[in-house]
Amino acid sequence: MIEQYLPIILVLVVAAVFAAAIVFSSRLFGPQQPSKIKIMPYESGKDPVGSTHERVSIKYYIVAMMFIIFDIEVIYLYPWGVEFRNLYNEYGFFAFWPMLVFLIVLELGFLYIYKKGALKWD
Amino acid sequence: MSIYDVIFYLFAILTIGSGYLVVTSKNIVHSAFYLLFTLFGVAGLYVLLAADFIAIVQLMVYVGGILILLLFGVMLTNKVTDVKIRTGTIHIIPAVIGTGLLMGVIVSMMLRTNWKSEPGELPFTTTYGLGRILLTDYVLVFELLAMLLLIALIGAASIARRDNE
Amino acid sequence: MINEILNSITFIYPELAVSIFLLIIVLVDLVFHKDKKYIPYISLAGLVITGILVLNQIGITHFAFVPQLSAVKKYGMMTIDPFGSYFKLLVVVTSILIIFFTIASEEVIDLKERLGEFHALIYGMILGMLVMISASDLILIYLSLELLSLSSYVLAGFLKLRERSSEASLKYVIYGSVSSGLMLFGISIIYGLTGSTNLYVINSLIQGPQINLFTLSFSSILMFVGIGYKISAAPFHFWTPDVYEGAPISITAYLSVASKAAGFALLIRFIQTGFTSFISEDGYWTLIAVFDWQALLIAISILTMTLGNFSALWQDNLKRMLAYSSIAHAGYILLGIAVLSNQGLIAVLIYFFVYMLMNIGAFYVVMLISNKTGSENIDDYDGLGAKAPFLGVALAIFLISLTGLPPTAGFIAKLYLFIALIDANMIVVAIIALLNTVVSLYYYVRVLKHMYLTKSEREQENITPSIGSLVYLLVLLIPILFFGIYFTPIVEFARSCVSLLGI
Repeated sequence: MIEQYLPIILVLVVAAVFAAAIVFSSRLFGPQQPSKIKIMPYESGKDPVGSTHERVSIKYYIVAMMFIIFDIEVIYLYPWGVEFRNLYNEYGFFAFWPMLVFLIVLELGFLYIYKKGALKWD
Repeated sequence: MSIYDVIFYLFAILTIGSGYLVVTSKNIVHSAFYLLFTLFGVAGLYVLLAADFIAIVQLMVYVGGILILLLFGVMLTNKVTDVKIRTGTIHIIPAVIGTGLLMGVIVSMMLRTNWKSEPGELPFTTTYGLGRILLTDYVLVFELLAMLLLIALIGAASIARRDNE
Repeated sequence: MINEILNSITFIYPELAVSIFLLIIVLVDLVFHKDKKYIPYISLAGLVITGILVLNQIGITHFAFVPQLSAVKKYGMMTIDPFGSYFKLLVVVTSILIIFFTIASEEVIDLKERLGEFHALIYGMILGMLVMISASDLILIYLSLELLSLSSYVLAGFLKLRERSSEASLKYVIYGSVSSGLMLFGISIIYGLTGSTNLYVINSLIQGPQINLFTLSFSSILMFVGIGYKISAAPFHFWTPDVYEGAPISITAYLSVASKAAGFALLIRFIQTGFTSFISEDGYWTLIAVFDWQALLIAISILTMTLGNFSALWQDNLKRMLAYSSIAHAGYILLGIAVLSNQGLIAVLIYFFVYMLMNIGAFYVVMLISNKTGSENIDDYDGLGAKAPFLGVALAIFLISLTGLPPTAGFIAKLYLFIALIDANMIVVAIIALLNTVVSLYYYVRVLKHMYLTKSEREQENITPSIGSLVYLLVLLIPILFFGIYFTPIVEFARSCVSLLGI
């Protein structure tokens, strides 16, 4: 069973090694002569103004919550999607209706928050 | 010690170790990053239990969703990055007694119980079976879930929206 | 498979009606976003239809959604039985009363813009409660509990501009998520022990000798935490006073009646279906000897009513006082379950019907007063008896009924409870409950004293309720007085609804 996950483990290992290599190689090979101007934050050549940590509108959190909810919705599409062909062969269009209802209910929710302006960012 | 055991202990150490760092780290951004490893370790344990769908949910919803949003929330919020969070210890004796007792109960329960087990091969993947059962036996649960998510959407919009007054 | 599902749908018409009306309310809210005054009437219409559908179901005993892929193809995920129909009817009637309540409540009238979501969330609660009442599968139980909790979290904090309301919502969320997490842990342990989530299957499996009693007790207690939080039984009641005080009054009244009723229905079904081995001729339940539910329930109920009553003594805020009084009432009702007999169950059913009338009534009067004065402090009630004679008399009757004195229906409810206790030889417990009732007399009468004996220091205008409010109060008052004298119909109705779908 575990052998099936070998490719995933390989990808993880390669990604980790690659990321580490890039970070450390630039440290290793690059010349380092920091000066006050060099380590200053880059803002299109101007001197930085004010703090970089600005207050964020509460809108961010609404979008975040919506994202999580739709994330969960998408998760349920996945097992339905992989099994749909078999279910369709057995039950015909009955395999379709429950998911249709599920999506209609949730798209109504999407329409709701859209119309209510929950996604407006101003 | 089979390869399963080795992998299990690797993930377990990853989970517990980074979990410890989450609660002891003084920097809230570091805590959030350690949480990434905790959640990832749990996903690995799910894979070992042949619960591949749950592992994917764990990665998609927790690592890919909640954690990233948490990090953004922390980093975007004014000055939180510099805040030294207080991780002092108070009431250490009652806390040790309480958690020790609970842990004793849970561990003894874990060891002494005849858990229901079905003999047989671990399934190759659970996603197909889950898709089948969601649309047939558990269709009611599935549709109720849609209503739950709808209510969650309405509730979230209702709490967070600014009123025009 | 398809036949089973299509067949099952015919048994969940009430839930279906609620879901459809929820979607209709959301749509209407979207389409007519200028004019929201029709929404309360739409939700009333939906509730009346749901009520008729529930009435049609009374007497039916059937399983719905029987899993076809599992090994045991006998027990469904939902159980339709007279007991469930009684509680569903109770929930629907409470909801109708609460919709009228919100039409009169100025807190809600001020919301105008957000009326649509208010009713949508109330419908979310109703759907959660209806499913919870007839769910016999742990997954469905958990999901419906979450649906109910999620909607009530938002509703408790619906007055966003009022700080206490937001505080109430936050406290509710924190307590709620901890206890639902514990309940989920309990569910997972039960599943690990038996390999099933269906209460009927669990019942047959825990009778086996290989079941580990310690583990089962632990998981049962964890399950009880989740339910105990919903019915605000001590020691899981800490959220109740703060949430009841902070939430809009209409929601407070709703939480104190409907969501409590659903929680009790769930508790009764969980114990009766999951743990009863047989019911004797004279109606006593014999539980499987795995967990001593009776001892737990008696201990919890005595703790609950004592804490509730004694904390209520010092409250100057009427909403807070009624919150503690509702905790105390949860204690009495728990005693009815602790008897573990059909007689106790009848007492619980009667108690809930009466409790619905008198609690909503008391909250309604409090709401009318607070519409005028803007607060719920007990000083606002000084001299009310002279200024608003009808409101004074109404509140007096509701409070006397809550105490349980004749000739009100509250007396009948308590009487049946005590008879059930004494028949089961639980004399000591009955005496403790009686002493608690005496304590509760003090704080209810204190309000009466303020109304009739204390002169108001401030000069206040007279409070004259509108015609609608008068009718509303009369609708609640007449049954309380009527059933206080002639109580046979309600007792008979409760007796006919006592049967759960058995093992």
